[in-house]
Parts: sequence; C-alpha cells; structure tokens
Amino acid sequence: MLTKIAGGDIIDPANGRIGKGDLWISDEAIAEAPAGGEADRTFDASGCIVMAGAIDIHSHIGGGNVNTARLLLPEQHAAHMPRPAATPLSNAGWSTFETGCLYARMGFTTVVEPAMSPYAALHTHLELADIPIIDKATLAILGNDDFLLSMMRDNASPAMIEDYVAWTVASTRALGVKVINAGAAAAFKENVRTFALDDVVPSYGVSSRNIVKILQAAVDRLGIPHPLHVHCNNLGAAGSADTAAATIAAADGLPLHLAHLQFYGYGTEGRRKFSSAAARLAELVNATPEVTIDIGQVMFGRTVTVSSDVMRQFSARGTANPKKFVIHDGDGNGGGIVPYRYRPDYYGTTQWAVGLELFLLIDDPWRVFFTTDHPNGAPFTVYPQLFKLLMSRDSRNEMAAGLSKSALGLSTLASIDREYTFEEIAIMTRAAPAKLLGLADRGHLGAGAVADVAVYRQDKDITKMLGRAALVFKNGDLVVKDGEITHYRWGSALRLDPPPEGAMVRRLEDFHQQRYGLSLDWFTFPDTAITREKPFGEVPCRSR
Amino acid sequence: MAVAWIGNREAPVEHAAEHAAALLASSRCPVISFDTDIHGTRAAIALAERVGAAYDHLDGKALALEAALFTDKGGMFVAPGEVRRRADVIVVVGELPEVHHGLVAELAETAPDFSSASGRAFFLIGNAETPTLPLGDTRKAILLLCGADLGATLAALRAQCAGRQVAARVENFDRFVGALAAARFPVFLFSSHTAGGLALEMLQGLIADLNNEGRASALHLPVSESGWGAVLASTWMTGFPPRASFARGFPEFDPWRFDVARMLAGREADCHLWISARESLPLPESNGVPLIVLAKTSKPVTGAEVTIAIGEARVDHDAVVYSARTGSLRSVAARSASQQPSAATVLRLIAGHVAAEAPSPC
Repeated sequence: MLTKIAGGDIIDPANGRIGKGDLWISDEAIAEAPAGGEADRTFDASGCIVMAGAIDIHSHIGGGNVNTARLLLPEQHAAHMPRPAATPLSNAGWSTFETGCLYARMGFTTVVEPAMSPYAALHTHLELADIPIIDKATLAILGNDDFLLSMMRDNASPAMIEDYVAWTVASTRALGVKVINAGAAAAFKENVRTFALDDVVPSYGVSSRNIVKILQAAVDRLGIPHPLHVHCNNLGAAGSADTAAATIAAADGLPLHLAHLQFYGYGTEGRRKFSSAAARLAELVNATPEVTIDIGQVMFGRTVTVSSDVMRQFSARGTANPKKFVIHDGDGNGGGIVPYRYRPDYYGTTQWAVGLELFLLIDDPWRVFFTTDHPNGAPFTVYPQLFKLLMSRDSRNEMAAGLSKSALGLSTLASIDREYTFEEIAIMTRAAPAKLLGLADRGHLGAGAVADVAVYRQDKDITKMLGRAALVFKNGDLVVKDGEITHYRWGSALRLDPPPEGAMVRRLEDFHQQRYGLSLDWFTFPDTAITREKPFGEVPCRSR
Repeated sequence: MAVAWIGNREAPVEHAAEHAAALLASSRCPVISFDTDIHGTRAAIALAERVGAAYDHLDGKALALEAALFTDKGGMFVAPGEVRRRADVIVVVGELPEVHHGLVAELAETAPDFSSASGRAFFLIGNAETPTLPLGDTRKAILLLCGADLGATLAALRAQCAGRQVAARVENFDRFVGALAAARFPVFLFSSHTAGGLALEMLQGLIADLNNEGRASALHLPVSESGWGAVLASTWMTGFPPRASFARGFPEFDPWRFDVARMLAGREADCHLWISARESLPLPESNGVPLIVLAKTSKPVTGAEVTIAIGEARVDHDAVVYSARTGSLRSVAARSASQQPSAATVLRLIAGHVAAEAPSPC
C-alpha cells in the first residue's frame, strides 16, 4: 500500500530535511516519492508538523520491580473510565496495555525498559509483549552479580568477561547493558549502607570504579552500539554532583551513558546544604564528548520510585508516601519500590530546577536525552508539559513563580533564555536516541526507514499539540487518529544477538549447578515462550 | 477420543466453545475461576474483560492474604537463590505447603557459600501441632513458641528482640537471639498456608527492626505457584491482582466482592467458567448455576452445560509458570507432549465467539 502524508512541515534532522513537503510510505517503510505514482490513501497534513516516531531511552515500563510497584499501590491506579470499544484492557490503570496506548497517543513508537534483571528476563519480556503498538527494548543489569564480581576478583581475562557479557545480552534478549550503583547491592547484602565510586565490595576486593570500567570496555569491544548505561553511586544525596563528576571523568575517552543525571545534580550550598549543581555538571558534559546523559526530570505530584539500586531505596524507605515499601534482595541487584510525592517545597523545587538546567545548559541535543526516568521523576504522561517548559521561557517563569524562591536562588534557571526548537526536540527524542541505541532503521524519515511517523497539528499550546498526535503510524499502519487509538498491533522487543561462546555456556552451567543446585535452563527460555507472532526484532552489533 | 461435550453429548470443540461463549455472553454476572499457567491466565483475564466477568484463582482465599501483604503493607523479601547462598539462619514461619518441603530439605543439606558457617541453624515458629521440618534424621529445628497463635508468637518475639517487656516469653528465645547475633543473613520462610494477615504483617515488622542494625529478609513461598503466577499476570494486565472484575467494563479490585466462591455461594453469579487441568483437584459442581468446565477429562463433567478437555501445562504442552525455586517465571517444556489443547487455546476459541470490535489481545 502506498500512503501519502501531504503538505506537512517535515522535521527530519537526521536527513537534513526541514520544511513543507510530502512524506511517502510504502507498506511498512518510508519511501521516495514515486515518479507519477498515485497514493492508495492520502492524509492531509497541512498545518501539521511531521516527525519520525519518538524513542524513549529510559522508562521503567515492565518487569519484576515495575509489577511489584503496581501490586503495592492498587489505590493509585484504580481505573475509572469506561472501556473504549476497540482497545482491549487499555483503560486498565497503569497496566501494560495502557502503557502502549498512552505512549502511542503522544507519538512515541519505541521505548526502552532500562533495568532488566537477567534472571527475570522472561517475566520482563512477557510484560513487554503485552504492551501494544510500540516496539520495546531492554538493558540487562550487570555489575552486582556474583559471577562477574568473582571473575573480576580472580583476575579473569577481558575476553572471558566479554564472553559473559555477550552471553547475558544474548540469553536475556537485551539491547544493551546497564550497571546500577556498581557493587552496592552486593555490599548491601553484607550490611554496608553507603557506597561510593572508589569503595570496595566486601569479599570481592573490587571497587565500584573497577566494575564500571570493566563493563564499559567489554560493551565497547563487543560492538554493542549503546554505550554502558550507568546509574551512578550516591543517587539523590546532597553532594552527589561530585560522584557524577568523578564518573564523567572516568569515561576516559570511551563512550559512557549516565542515566537520570538530574538525580546527581546536587551540591551542598545553602542553609539546607542541598543546592543545584547543574551548571557544573552541564559544563563537564559539554567538555566530555564521549559522554551522553538522560535527565530524569522531576515534576510535582505523586509517583512511585522503582529502582534496582536496592541500597538507595532501603535508605529512602522512611520517605515512603503512603507509608509502605518493598525492598528485594535479588540475585544480583534486586530492587526497591518506594512511593513518593514530589512537593513544590525547597527540595522538590531544587530537583525540578536541576533537571531543567541540565536540559538547557547542555549545548548538544545529540547528547542529552528526554526522560523523567518514568516513574521515578514523574510518570511519562507528563511529557507534553515538560516539552512546553523546554520550549517556552515564559512557561518556566510562570511555573517558577509558585515555587521555593530560596531553592531557585541557588539555581541558574532564571537566567537561562534558551528555548528548544522543534528541530532540537526532534533530535533529542528521535534522531539522537536512534543513533545512541544503534537503531539505524528509525528516528528519521529517510527512504527505507521503518514507517514510524508522528503528525502533530500545530497549536500554540505545546502541551495540547504534543500530548495528542493527529496521526501516528507504526510500521506504516495508522494506529492513532486525532489522539485516539484506532486499533492494536503488536510490536517487537529489539535485541542484539552476540553469539555466546561455548566454553562460557559450560562454565555457567557448572556455576548454576554448584551454587544454585539448578541447571542453567531454569533461567533461560526459548523465543516461543513469548506467544506473539514476532516477539523479537534483530539489531546488529557494530562490526569489530 | 472425544474432547468436548455439550451437556452429556459429544460435540466438536468449535461448537462447544461457541456454546460456552453464548452462555457467558448472555449471563449478567459471569465468574471465572482458574488454576492454570501464565498464558492460560492471560487468556482467562482477556476473556473476563470481554464478557464482563469477575475472576479468581482456585486458591483465591490463601492467595488473597499473600497479595494483601503487598497491596496493604509491603515488606522486605529475598530471592530463593540468595537464601541458598547466603542464609545462615533459617526461620520457618508456621507450616509451609508441601510443595516447598523440598527446598527446606535442600537448605538443610547445603551450607551458605557466602558465609563461613558450615551449616544453617533452623528455627520453627509454630505450636505443638506444627509438623516438624524435613531436615533429615540428624537435625531438628528449634521451636519458638508463645501460646497457640502464630501472630502472638511473632509479636512476642518482636517485642523481646526490641528489649520490651512481654507478658509471656517465647520459648527458646535466648537460643534465637544467640543465633541472630552470630548470623550475617537470617531469612524467614513464610506463606499464608497457616499464617494469617496480622502474623505476616508482624513478621515484616520484626524484619524491619532487624534491618535497623543488621541484615535479614523474608522468602515468600506462595501457597500456590500457579496462583502467584496469576497474581503477577493479572497485575501487569489490569493493574490489580485477583480478585478483580470487569462487570462495569473496566477492571476493579476488591478481594471480598469478587471472591468467586462467595459469589457462587451467595447466588450472585449466574454463569461459572472453571478452568484447571490438575487431575488432583475435585471437579466443580453446578449448584444450579450454568457451569462451563475446562478440565483434563475423558468424560463430561456432571452438571456442566459445556465440558472441554484440555491438556496439562508442563505435561501435555510447553508452559510458562511461576517457580518458587527461582522466584520468577520459568519456561518448561512438555514432559509428554499430546494433542490436548492448552487452556489458553480453548479460551481464545471461546473469546473468538463473543462479539467484540477487536481481536482478543492474549
């Protein structure tokens, strides 16, 4: 089928195409304009902006910890809408089905679940397979697991560590690797309560820095397109900017991605010894081209923090609102679920301002990524409001007027005039994420790309405009019209498939038999365990 | 071999599914109770949405207690693999379901490799009637006892650990405190098999206290593995664990209102779909409510308007199930693959005969 999206303002920075024109789709892919060809169907996009489908690189949308958060908080997602006829289960509050629908309505077509515990990979992929419309991907967590730490303690060769990383990525069907407070979960099991970059994990004799560096190098040498995704130590602590600065410096010329940098943007100035250090961190990021970051913006209201940083979540349990939490000592990281309410007080204002400062002071939109660390900083449903704050200085000032003046007094936010353009938004949410993740087939509107397209009717109200897309196509299939889901289709989970090395598989079999009394197949699964027609999509590694 | 019946008459599966769909669609308050694998559970919940049914697991009563620990309170938990590798003191809370006795025996036979301890100390919180633990011939768990009630013993234990006065002391408390003082990672094994809601909450209070200075956690050994799998699948699909209902067109969670056994006993339900391939379970009775049964059977179920034979997960067909041994979902190949359809296959067939604007999502 040949589809024509006619007369829209096309914003495709990856291909340098900015301006009014037509976009052609042939079946599931973007196509060149056919010579004299007639479209089978035409959509009038005059008065609309046309962009590739958006990509979210860090949003906790499925897996054990996310599901435990749902279980912990039935009162926060009680559904209240009658069921839309054509979209089964889509009004089930905070469910997999609702997740896919809400993302698609905003023009997002690919979302990465950034914290998959390897032993819960099947559970995670089953949840992701029940998220309709969008494509998904996962990052496998390493860095607190006994197998890796033992290899490091025993001075295993880099090749052996690469084999283990490759096996983990392949067997869990992941798109990359994440390390979360490297070594801290292992240390917490030994009753250690704080853990910094150069602290050493008891019993293993390896530091957090060692773990990050070893994994960073392994990911790079394996040709995994996405750099090691790092959740640093000391999340949320006053003075954590020092930790983030030290981690940025540790990149040392190799690619490194720092997750939700906002949660580390805190200095120790002011009466409360808690202040914005965003300007300092932005300067460091600007000066370190091998580093990319996502923000983890805080917005005000009730949410729940869901993290595999079990040590941090344990220390935050006293802030639970309502007063209930789950702490899980897992194989490897485990995790913690602590409901939380961001208030527009001194601390909340500081966090809000830090995120915006980082967005606005980091110069290169190819290296800063749009996230709220859903649901940790805020649910992803606040994205339209956040776009508005980035694109309008007046909106920021209007909101700041109702917030803590003493917090803003220690921030540079009021002095920043920058307003994001649509082109920068398209880079940050489309072109750059595709590049960062190694997804050459999306994030742009060039011929041959997957026809993931979002069309927004222009409106002075950015929240309204970007909150309900006029049209969304997924693989060329119209799935959203006038902000409403038309029907389901089932996307895939994008995965790498580095070939596992036989000796490593045998070694892991022995390890699981000896340490857990179970064979390795208790922890692995065939593709057929996911009962969708095409559960996985293949993404190539960089050639080595 | 016949695989479906309408009443006592043999029928093609397609016709039986169509008849079942008509019964469900024409009822005003249908209910579904099940004990099946993850994909069967997903299909049952998708069908529940389509026909506006309430749904519950066949072990719903005990599972509701365990789910309530999470929905109402939360707590601290540990993965089974970490228990094997790390726990130097094991405290069993009440009586555990038999399915978990193998794990207890395994813990007794092994030593934690993350600890210098050569073995594990075992304690049992219970009463004189609580069966002994399967620890082998040479070992015995030390009984912690304070009256007949499990919750009272846990409360006294917590109070004594915190240095507070108690009216009645826990038997063997000094040995328990001594073991805790030497322990690096004590773990409490629990299920709702004999422990009630208040006992589980008190247990979590004790664990929270112990974590103020040291480490301790709890291993959840669910009263039903398929039941806990259903809790997980239901929660990701609807936001809620069972007992939930789609009677108003959207999911609602209410462990009392949507207790299917209660709804049937109270004559609130007017159609019952029962799903289980476990041959050890007693088959349901109609009791005047139109009954549809999906079971591993070679004959029609007495009183059922529709019976459809299904295969057993893990035996007749590959399955995804919850495993308490790993604390997560696991893929299991069929032991003896057969032509018997899975519960999920039959449920999708039924859903296909209920008028809807969109295909079933599961």
